Amino acid sequence: MRVTTMSRRWLLAVSACTVLVVVAGCSSSKKTSGTTSTPPAAVGSTSAASGGASTASASTASASTAGSSAAPADTSAIKIAVIDAQSGQSSSLGKWEYDGVKLAVDQANAAGGINGRKVELTVFDDQADPTVSTNLARKAVSGGFIAILGPAESADAIAMSPILQQAKIPYITSGQSPAMPKLGDPYLFLNSPTSTTYDTTLANYAVKTANFTHIAMITNNGAYGKGEHDAFTAALKALNVTPVTDQIVTPDQTDFSAALTSIRQKNPDALFIGAEEVESGLIVKQARGLGIKATIIGAAPTSTPIFVQTAGTANAEGAVSSTPYLTNDTNAQTKAFAAAYDAAYGTEPELHGAKAYDGAEIMLQALKTTNGAGGQALDDAIRAVKYQGLVGNFAFDATGVGVHETQIGIIKNGVLTAAS
Amino acid sequence: MTRKAAGLVLLAVLACLLPHQLNIYWIHVADVAVIYGILALGLALTMGAAGQVNLAQVAFFGVGAYASAILTTHGWPFWVAAIVALLAAALVGLLVSIPALRVQSHYLGIVTLGLSLAFTNLVTNTALTGQADGLNSLVVPPLFGLNLSSDLVYYYVEIVALALCLAWAAFVVHTRLGRRFRAMRDDPLAAASIGAEIPYLRITAFVLGAVFGGVAGVLYAGLIRYVSPASFSLSSMFFVLAGFIIGGRFSLLGAVGGAVFLVLLREELSNYEAYAQILYGGLVVVIVVFAPTGLVGIVRSVAKAFKRRTERFSEGRAQVSDEASPTGLSARPYRAVRLSDGGSLAGVADSSAALLIEHVTKRFRGLTALEDVDLLVPAGQIRGIVGPNGSGKTTLFNIISGIYAPTTGTTEVFGFRTTRATSYRLARRGVARTFQNLRLFGRLTVRDNVLVALDQSRTIWAWRYLLWPFGVLRADAVMRQEADALLALYGLLEVADSLPGVLSYGTQRRVEIARAMARRPRILLLDEPAAGLNGQEMHQLAEIVRDVRASGVTVVLIEHNMGLVMSLCDQVTVLASGRVIADNVPEVVAYDEAVIAAYLGESSGDNGPRPAQVNT
Amino acid sequence: MQLFFQTLVGGIGFGAVYALVGMGFTIVYRTMGLVNFAHGQIAMIGAFLSATFFLDTKLPFAVAAIMSMAATAVVGLAIEGILRPLEARDFDLMLIGTLGFGVVLEAVATRIWGATGRAVPAPVDRPLQIFGIIIRTYDLVVIGVGAVATVAVWVLLNRTKAGAAMQAVAMDRDAATSVGIRVGRSNAMAFALGAGLAALAGSLAAPLLYVTPSLGSSLGIKGFCAAILGGFGNINGAVIGGLAFGILDGFAAGHFQQYSDTVTFLVFAVAIMVRPTGILGELTVNRA
Repeated sequence: MRVTTMSRRWLLAVSACTVLVVVAGCSSSKKTSGTTSTPPAAVGSTSAASGGASTASASTASASTAGSSAAPADTSAIKIAVIDAQSGQSSSLGKWEYDGVKLAVDQANAAGGINGRKVELTVFDDQADPTVSTNLARKAVSGGFIAILGPAESADAIAMSPILQQAKIPYITSGQSPAMPKLGDPYLFLNSPTSTTYDTTLANYAVKTANFTHIAMITNNGAYGKGEHDAFTAALKALNVTPVTDQIVTPDQTDFSAALTSIRQKNPDALFIGAEEVESGLIVKQARGLGIKATIIGAAPTSTPIFVQTAGTANAEGAVSSTPYLTNDTNAQTKAFAAAYDAAYGTEPELHGAKAYDGAEIMLQALKTTNGAGGQALDDAIRAVKYQGLVGNFAFDATGVGVHETQIGIIKNGVLTAAS
Repeated sequence: MTRKAAGLVLLAVLACLLPHQLNIYWIHVADVAVIYGILALGLALTMGAAGQVNLAQVAFFGVGAYASAILTTHGWPFWVAAIVALLAAALVGLLVSIPALRVQSHYLGIVTLGLSLAFTNLVTNTALTGQADGLNSLVVPPLFGLNLSSDLVYYYVEIVALALCLAWAAFVVHTRLGRRFRAMRDDPLAAASIGAEIPYLRITAFVLGAVFGGVAGVLYAGLIRYVSPASFSLSSMFFVLAGFIIGGRFSLLGAVGGAVFLVLLREELSNYEAYAQILYGGLVVVIVVFAPTGLVGIVRSVAKAFKRRTERFSEGRAQVSDEASPTGLSARPYRAVRLSDGGSLAGVADSSAALLIEHVTKRFRGLTALEDVDLLVPAGQIRGIVGPNGSGKTTLFNIISGIYAPTTGTTEVFGFRTTRATSYRLARRGVARTFQNLRLFGRLTVRDNVLVALDQSRTIWAWRYLLWPFGVLRADAVMRQEADALLALYGLLEVADSLPGVLSYGTQRRVEIARAMARRPRILLLDEPAAGLNGQEMHQLAEIVRDVRASGVTVVLIEHNMGLVMSLCDQVTVLASGRVIADNVPEVVAYDEAVIAAYLGESSGDNGPRPAQVNT
Repeated sequence: MQLFFQTLVGGIGFGAVYALVGMGFTIVYRTMGLVNFAHGQIAMIGAFLSATFFLDTKLPFAVAAIMSMAATAVVGLAIEGILRPLEARDFDLMLIGTLGFGVVLEAVATRIWGATGRAVPAPVDRPLQIFGIIIRTYDLVVIGVGAVATVAVWVLLNRTKAGAAMQAVAMDRDAATSVGIRVGRSNAMAFALGAGLAALAGSLAAPLLYVTPSLGSSLGIKGFCAAILGGFGNINGAVIGGLAFGILDGFAAGHFQQYSDTVTFLVFAVAIMVRPTGILGELTVNRA
């Protein structure tokens, strides 16, 4: 036994070592991947390549000196990462985001880029999983990206915060959880109002305009849903209204009969939903199946086509949505955007694409100001941007929120229209 | 030994040099890979070594990570929280092991899978665990002023942890606890019959797996500093399971290697999630069908084929055995030892009944296997149990050795009531047995088979693994010497390092007897020991049985070979259709009419005069 | 009262789905000795096919479901060929091998249909009112179809030649061969039958839940629990176990809301420990 085990183990150890050597050998090429595209203006960036672990700090150094030095004419690409869910249940969201960003970037590149330099987008799939997104944050840092657009899930954005803050990479996210501005991360920006804004507008409409008296709530306990829950409850409280019931579900639940039965027993005239697009749609579908006739009210998710699709057009009829982006025909700017979007992708855009487009436009504008540099300078430039966007007038405050109001829309025949 | 050590040292050196080739992102990936390696190591202990299907490993991972996260969020110092997290994981492992006491195999798989889902559901909804979004911004572990927020430094901490975990796991697997695990995995029935306390072993296996999962969890919380339910989902469970299977489920290094390999693969394909899944899912199917022992198994087979081509196969062949058996290795011919000069009761202190069976009836639903059977075997006797097929002989043995409990009636062994005692408790009382269909531990060497039986300790003895490992090693060395002495006695020393499967049938039978005798039993039950033996082997069997009795052991054997029974047994009991129809010295029984009728049918003629009866 | 009956009906509705999954799984086990943990993913494929036929090709729901059953049965034949080598392995390896195959099926479904999933409207929408208690009509449809399917399976197994052949193979493969039964063909038919039942389960479940690639995982695990709860290998057991598990799940959701999974699986674990052979007792297969 001794002899055979020894030779077996020996062979095994050798094979394992070989594998490790091969991996180590291949990986050494990964070390250099970050260097080719860091902004060349700063001398420090090229020397960063030699010390693997110090790439992050070196690129920071390079970024901060970039703005000040009189750079020689440079034509290398500016690397921006798009981090979003490209797989899993939120993948349609991620796709809209990416499409919106890409449209803006393509238009900018066609017009000459940033002072002659093209903007290069790379998309990463965070699977709507916060731990994957922390991984991707590190990847972005080591990959020489100077800015990030996304993610759409607030939980993922929060997870990435410490890493991006340390690396001084600004990111404009599409989430709306109030937990994000609370972080106090100077590199985090929102291209959307927070749940507080959405829900205050919604609550005011529900109580004062639509005169609902029995409002039931059903929210999920994810970052977004919790934010919605807290914001809406607070908004109702400010109007001296208490919800008749407050049901909590989980983000990946698909059967809501238990919660909906409790809701039906309270006979509400309005049902507030704080969940993502698909889940909201499922809730509405099952609610109608159980005979709940209450008006559906909600924030951004209830304004999207996928909500209508999931719920079923008949079931979604009359749903009230608080959203900063009502229709593609609101004004000349939105019409132009919708036309360009349709030309590029063959479908009409909606809120998420519009938000992402706005975020990208702001980022491009800031980059023009810093001449393609990242870091603190880029961060300051973003904050300084005043932009008339598709979803509102952007003016970022210290916490990173840019838009502070929404409007009310109602779904008629499957299409969102402005409330009269 | 030195070649293996050199290989491992080389591995360690490479592991230490690795991070200097990587950038911050890939160091992070390496960190995650090592964590999954430790997690897979837990699976290797529970599933690979002890054969317990454990689809809750990811839940143990989660318990470790969440416990650490919750406690540090509440201000506990990191390393204190880490210890408590490990204890929590161990406790959960203990709870999850309880179903394993009742069900095994795919049942246990579904139950543990369900418990995994229950865990995910629980943490997704509890406020304490941060619900669906989990807990973020966890503290950086402090360690003597080292900056553990640097993934590079963390890598070295993890490598040390992995090395310690691997070393300890190897220590467990290759000493008595691990041998018992492996015996239980290979054949729980036989393991119980040589004293392995199956329920306690199962609990221990789960607790060990859970602790390794907890270690991985604590490291995870310290690395990612963010725990959420998504990291401990079913897909993570399949992922670790896949790594474990692909690497090699019977190898510790294989489990670690497989997990590391999959983590790297997944990162490479991170933008092609679906393809990555098809790849590793498909690999699992291919491995299970074509190479169930994993990549390590493939490497080993290649090595063996290599070896066979370069070396002549000398083990066991150069020996004296003149039956160069085409069916496998043979043992040395048995040389009768005859410790004393014969006499059927030599060496026995007391003359009480070794075995007393009274009015035992055994019914299986509609079938009555045994009906009112009485049996008294005095100490030091060689007793034969014979009867046509289906007469209940093996059922009787199963009742005596604790596999079944009788429907009615009692059994006693040396005065101790043993009617409902379990196999392993009976093994402690001095009952040892062999099986009709040979139940050797297929993946253990002959020496290991004997070593498992030699181990007389209770499972609780295993506390020494944690607190006094040197005692374990020393005791193992002593046992090895005893094993070798026993193997030499039975002429098996030359084949001691072989797996039973390559041995000739006769040699395998002898191994089983040697294993039973390693228990130092007071009663030895032999179930058809002569089946499949040729003339010479049968002669040697008789020698062995006589020597066994001469050393003070009572022997009861079931046999069909009448010649052997007549020559060997002091007394013969005949069973037919579950009843005792004769019980006397062989010469009398052979001419008993009822016996002849049972074997040959009613119409057999007169067989001559009958000798005088002897009252027993 | 309302709550109780509604929960009960809903629970029986899901129970019918689990029973169908469990039945298909059990038929495959009894005839081929294969413990197929990818069975849930087969149900998921059936759900997707049915959704595609119903939503894209605009066929009536029943027709879409039947076509899905047929298509999935054909797919099942292909799958059976891939899984055949696993039948020779011991149960632990079979479990792991089929789990791996399930992962592959899920990923393939993601590639074909995307990860977002599809919401399928129920063919009958309005709730019924019986004695003042509001019941979801579709739940009754599911229960009805499930019952019909169970009877049809019983008839097939006990009153037709093909069914008798399947049972014969289940009892004794060699004896079946020696009386002229084509075991290979019979097994393929059994697998196709199992796949068809899975597809029916998936199609029925689609309007109740949401069709995504991960639907297979949840239907599969609950279906297996159902089969084990009722008595592994026992087709009647699968039906009883399915109903029992569905009711357990429904009431757990009713009383424990979001913690329903925790409660359900804990109760299941305890139940199996108390009675490992299940409600009607297990029928193991002789795999020579």
